[in-house]
Amino acid sequence: MAYAIEIKNLRKEYGAKVAVNNINLNIEEGCLFSLLGVNGAGKTTTIKMLTGLAVPTSGDAYILGHSIREDINAVKSIVNVSTQETSVAPNLTVRENLEFIAGIYGMDKGKSKQRVDEVIEQFNLHEVEKNKAKTLSGGWQRKLSIAMALITEPRILFLDEPTLGLDVLARRELWRVIEGLKSKITVILTTHYMEEAESLSDSIAIMVDGCIKASGTLDELLKLTGADNLENAFIKIAEEI
Amino acid sequence: MKGIIFCKRTVKEILRDPLSYIFCLGFPIVMLVIMSIVNNSIPKEAGMKIFELDYLAPGMAYFGLSFVMLFTCIQVSKDRTTSLLMRLHASPMKSIDFIIGYTLPVIIIALLQMLVTYTAALILAAVIGKSISIVGILLSIITLLPSALCFISFGLIFGTLVSEKAAPGICSIIITISSMIGNIWMDVDQLGGSIQKLSKALPFYHGVKCARLSVAGNYSELAKPVIISMAWALGLYILATFIMSSKLKKDVQ
Repeated sequence: MAYAIEIKNLRKEYGAKVAVNNINLNIEEGCLFSLLGVNGAGKTTTIKMLTGLAVPTSGDAYILGHSIREDINAVKSIVNVSTQETSVAPNLTVRENLEFIAGIYGMDKGKSKQRVDEVIEQFNLHEVEKNKAKTLSGGWQRKLSIAMALITEPRILFLDEPTLGLDVLARRELWRVIEGLKSKITVILTTHYMEEAESLSDSIAIMVDGCIKASGTLDELLKLTGADNLENAFIKIAEEI
Repeated sequence: MKGIIFCKRTVKEILRDPLSYIFCLGFPIVMLVIMSIVNNSIPKEAGMKIFELDYLAPGMAYFGLSFVMLFTCIQVSKDRTTSLLMRLHASPMKSIDFIIGYTLPVIIIALLQMLVTYTAALILAAVIGKSISIVGILLSIITLLPSALCFISFGLIFGTLVSEKAAPGICSIIITISSMIGNIWMDVDQLGGSIQKLSKALPFYHGVKCARLSVAGNYSELAKPVIISMAWALGLYILATFIMSSKLKKDVQ
């Protein structure tokens, strides 16, 4: 079986606090994998280590065969991340933001224009493409932020709480976008919203206090806990195991 | 190449902020006009040279550069706040790309600002019937470049170390200090004593002197302040790149 990500005893300490505690996890290529956990469970720290935004204290992870400790530059060229906070250049237009990221990842002008047009089409950004990012609503900004992560054609996309703080309509709109990515690339999603993970994921892992407490498909987690939905399964795993 | 792409983005970010025009271009011109009016009211017998146009314009060109520090500082601290830098940390960009991307745009803006200030000074000189040497102005712009780099370095250091909210306050302190003991508004040489010693121990006095000697065509005395300004610029820029690189590395610890 081809794994997009193989995590081996990955650990991160901040002083005396252990944010991620020797986790092990394999994520299949092309799947949409959700990482669930309460605040401070270690989800964001895990993503930061996998994307080169934090250096592990010990252990390693292999992103399509590249070690995050030994070969982080190769990792950075094949992954991209949309962070919790909307990370856009506020005074640049939507199109300029996309062109900017394409350029940073080394695309020439022709390729950049082609990808920008494709991504604008894919995310329905036509009506706002000439608007400055700072004038967009939260939902549009989040869409742009994900589009900026996708323009580089990453083989693995990390979405850290992509729908946090969005209203229900904007959230559903983003769900459609994320669903559209399924099977095309590997997507790693962290979220607080159980219905989001339930609706979108092929596979789910639950983190508690820096540890992976359970992982598997939705059906496997429901069977493991005897719960009737993911929220109850999550509560059982988080509280009992 | 990535540094140049980042540079283009920074230029757009700064030029699309209306405050850039107000502070970088409008403010020095307004001050130039006001101080010239003040100079008109001072009796010639007072022998006060500091507000005379050929003396004031180089001072104003230097004063304008201190606002370049403010914009560098705000831009760096704002990028850190908006988490755009986090996205870029996850990209193949290196520390050197960030440093080039922040430095080049503000050097261009500093050059434009000096050109605008001196053009305004030339127009004002024509109105009041004074003459200012264009060769002197061009030399002054060149000799002010180390001072521009000093202010950019301060901007990079404070932008890296303080928050977006604290940045304007810290920069205001430096702007005030540089204008007071830099010999722009206050004749430090006449005051003498500790103030003069303090002025000479800092880069501002020497930067202003470079600009004034160039405009005055007093080339024989130019070497010393130019060398001191260049030494300060080099030292501060090395310090700024060290602090910025360290902070970027620390952010991914």
